[in-house]
Formats: sequence, C-alpha cells, structure tokens
Amino acid sequence: MKKPAFRRRAGDSLMGLLGIALGCLLLFPLFYGFMGAFKTPSEFITYPPTVLPASFANLSNFHTVFTQVPMLRYFLNSLITAVLTSAVRIAVAALAAYAFVFFRFRGQRVLFFLVLGTMMLPADTLLITNYQTVSRLGLLDSYLGICIVSFVGASQMFMLRQHFMTSPTPVREASQLDGCGDLRFIVSILLPMSLPVLLILFVQSFVAQWNLYLWPLLVTSSNAMRTVQVGITMLTTIEGTNYETVLAGAAVAMLPAALLFVFMRRSLTATMSGSAVIR
Amino acid sequence: MQRIDRRPGAGAPWRPYLYLLPMLVFAVGFVYYPFLKTIVQSVSTVNFRGEITGCAGLENFRYLFSRREFGIAIRNTLKLMLINVPVTLFITILLGWFSSKRRPLGPVYETMLALPMTVSMSSITLIFKVLLNPSVGYVNYALGLRLGWYTDRHTAMAGILLLTVWMGIGFNYLLFLSAFRAVPQDLIGCAQLEGAGALRTLLYVQLPMISPTILYVACTNMIQAMMTSGPILILTQGGPSRSTTTLIYLMYTSGYSSSNYSLAAAVSLVTFAMTLTFTALLFALERKRVHYQ
Repeated sequence: MKKPAFRRRAGDSLMGLLGIALGCLLLFPLFYGFMGAFKTPSEFITYPPTVLPASFANLSNFHTVFTQVPMLRYFLNSLITAVLTSAVRIAVAALAAYAFVFFRFRGQRVLFFLVLGTMMLPADTLLITNYQTVSRLGLLDSYLGICIVSFVGASQMFMLRQHFMTSPTPVREASQLDGCGDLRFIVSILLPMSLPVLLILFVQSFVAQWNLYLWPLLVTSSNAMRTVQVGITMLTTIEGTNYETVLAGAAVAMLPAALLFVFMRRSLTATMSGSAVIR
Repeated sequence: MQRIDRRPGAGAPWRPYLYLLPMLVFAVGFVYYPFLKTIVQSVSTVNFRGEITGCAGLENFRYLFSRREFGIAIRNTLKLMLINVPVTLFITILLGWFSSKRRPLGPVYETMLALPMTVSMSSITLIFKVLLNPSVGYVNYALGLRLGWYTDRHTAMAGILLLTVWMGIGFNYLLFLSAFRAVPQDLIGCAQLEGAGALRTLLYVQLPMISPTILYVACTNMIQAMMTSGPILILTQGGPSRSTTTLIYLMYTSGYSSSNYSLAAAVSLVTFAMTLTFTALLFALERKRVHYQ
C-alpha cells in the first residue's frame, strides 16, 4: 500500500526543508561569527544587537588580525607542523602496517596490540610528562617539538593494514620474483595502489593537527612559534573587548579546514565512518 | 583474510622488526614511557625541573584529596560528562535517524549537519564567547534572557556544555547516519508489515541494530568529555569561583603554571583511572545490551 507518488514527493521536500532548517540552526553560531567579522566596534555596542553587519565592505578586522599578531607567520607554522606531522605519521604507520601484513614473526600479536594500545591512553593525561621529555630533548619552542608527540598513528596504521590486506597476493609475489626489495615494493607498488586511502588519511590528519590547541600552547613559548589556533586566542588578551577582531580571527582560522571538508566530504565521510564500523 | 608467507630462503628475519621500529620508538617514547613516568612521579617528590628527588608514597594523593579544588574539579568533570554524553547521543541519534532516508535535498543538510566536525575548538570557543556575552551577545537578546553565562558561576557550566555538545555533533552525527543506513531495509519492511509505526521500528529494530555505534560514540564522547580543558582555558580559567575547574584544567595549571609535577601526575592518574572505569562500565553494559549482526 504505497502512498501516491506526488504525496511522497511532497513529504520528502517538506522533510528536506526541515533538514535544512535544522542545519541552519546548528550552523547559526558559525554564521554569526562570520558576519560579526565584518562589523565595526560600534555595531557591537548598539542595542538591539544585530546578526548582519551594516556593510560587507568593512575588511579592517581581517587587516587587524594579520597586523596585530603575526598571523601570516602563524599560518606558516600551522601549515609546516600539520604537513610534517601528517607525512611522518603516515610514513611510520605505513611501514608498521607493511610489517604486520606481509611478514609472520615472533611477537607479532603482542606488538600489534602494543601499537593499538596507544589509543587507550588519552594524550591529554600525558601532556605534562611529554612536556618534560620534549624539554629534555631540547625541542621546546620548535616545529619538531610541536609535531613529535603526534607521530604515533595507531588508527592510521590500522586503516592501512586493513587496506594492504586487500592487495592481491600475485602482485606481491610477482614483484618478489623480479627481485623487488621491500622498500621498492612499498614505494613503487604498494603506496601508489593505496593512493586514495593515503590521501584521505593525510587530509584527516592535517585537519586534526591544524586544529590542535593545548599541546602547541604548552610547548611553544616565543611569539613567533605559535600556531593559528593559539594565535587567534591571543587576539582577545591584547585589547580586552575587541569582539570584531576576535570573530575575524576565528573565521580566518577555520576557513581552510572547512573548505577542505566541503570539497572532500564524500570520500572523507565514507572512510571515517568505515574506520569506526570496522573496529 | 589473505596471509602471505615470507618469501622462502630470504634471510634477515629482523626485517619486520626494522619496519616496526619507528612506530615502536614513538609509541614507547611518547605514550608508554610518559604513562609509566606519570605513575612514578605521582608517588615521588619532584622538583620544579621535573627531577625526582625522593619517594613520597601516597602523600601526593593524600594532599590532592585534601584540597577543596580537587573535589570541585571531580564534581565539575563528572557533571560535564554525565550531561554531555546523553545529550549528544540523543541529538545525534535523532539527527541520524531523521536523515537516514535519502531525499533530494539530503546532501545539502547532511553536509551542514556534519560541518561542525571541521571547526577547531578555539574558533568556535571564541565565537561562543561573543555569542553568549551577557551584554553584546545575541543569545540573551534573541531569547529574552538576562543570563551572565561565562561570567556567572551558576551558568558558566551550562555555557561550556552548550559549546562542547555543539562540538560533538558533526562527527557523531555522521557515524549514526551511516549506521542507520547500514540497517537492512527488509528488516524495517518486515516490522512495518507487522504493523509497527515509525517509533516502534526505531525502538525495537533500528536502535538494537545500531547499538555497536551507540557504544562507540558513548565511549569516545565520554573520554572526550572527561578531558575537557581547552574551552575552560580560553573562556573561564576555571572560574567564576571554580565553577568550571575540570580535572585536566587542574592538571594543566598545577603542572605547567605551578611546576608542581607530582601533583599534576596524581591528577592525571586519577583522571585516567576514572576514564578507564567508565569505559569498563560501558563495555559491561555492552555484554548485556549491544547486538552485533
């Protein structure tokens, strides 16, 4: 007993509109933030408060964000640390996954669970002791110091392991007969075959590192080494109540990750939900 | 599962260990070693340079438990977690259920509802700081409220909760969306043939089928809530009058600002033990309630 087609379609459109209304409600803080970035200081003091700015031509807040603090430098710092972390993390995870998939060796299970076990210890509880280690290594206030604690990527290793296991046996055997060494097999066959997964892992890792706050705050001390996320919170302390500058900073800092997400939503979400469902 | 044997005659049985070495070095150096060190420091006296100067037994813990601030931090953290987890679960399950049916406008609102996952904690925290500002903020005006939010000790925690729930929606929504879509259609069709309405189908067919995802989200969200500290650092510094002091915030201030490393280690261990206990409880619940296909 199917409902007539036109009624079903009308119901779908109605529910679709409801979905968009819910989305708007959820995203209202972001909208408010972006709009506030265009306001002048006096627009914040007037009553009643508004959402929309008087004019979108007012770009002075963005100018302030880049001049009041060295925001370009912060962008560079975030970019360097996010790329470095993601690259090393994935390389380390790929090597480990390769060992787990293509070799049988003593202690394999123990080592596998040793790697996965790192996910059980929340990084936040290890902040202070890791700070001491990084300090002893002389890496405080350096790019490597920001990155080094994030090089362990157990979930990346797991995802690559799942993927490598699907690679056809003959490929591996043929390349071995041809005298292809391990590293050459990884670099010229295995990784190119896994390019889509690698790309997604990279983007995911990049966004996570780009958005990191507490560790970069703890480990950097000089003004020039702050990352974007730490830098924008420093906009609040400089002049007290400069709401428009703070909002412009927040807008600038979230734009790269948000754009990346909107463009790559389909592939990203498929893998991320996949990783949670496999377990 | 396809298993491949090491090629015959190839020597060098050390090769897999070599490939594992970088991962193991980082795992031990920055996860297991600091964890053990935290345990050791929590029962030692540690100077401001982080060097162990003697054994303290359980003195650090005794001192910690005697401090009022610590009891408040535990209460605040528990309050945050116990409200955040069910509220987040309720909202994201509802949203996932709502959008599980594919509709023409689906991709638009799915992207909108998932978008919060990319927004960094510091960006959204700063936006909430303005949005919930008692005088210039839009929320008080739009809802006709006169709340002090982050400036009032009675409402500061509610403000933090609003923020942390918002941050948790995007990713968990996506997980539930794909979980709902993975429920076999014929099961739902069957239930409907038997005369079950949408609500009954949800309660007796869909929710049991997605229970592994519910467990996963409950676990990860619980851990995240127990670790709440970023918004506190940016917005309230644990105030007003300690109403938003959480465990990790306390660890951060006692370890970093006051260089009292043994106290920080003790706080960290207590947080870890509590989190582990809750994880165990959730998994005990899983034995009873979670249904795997």
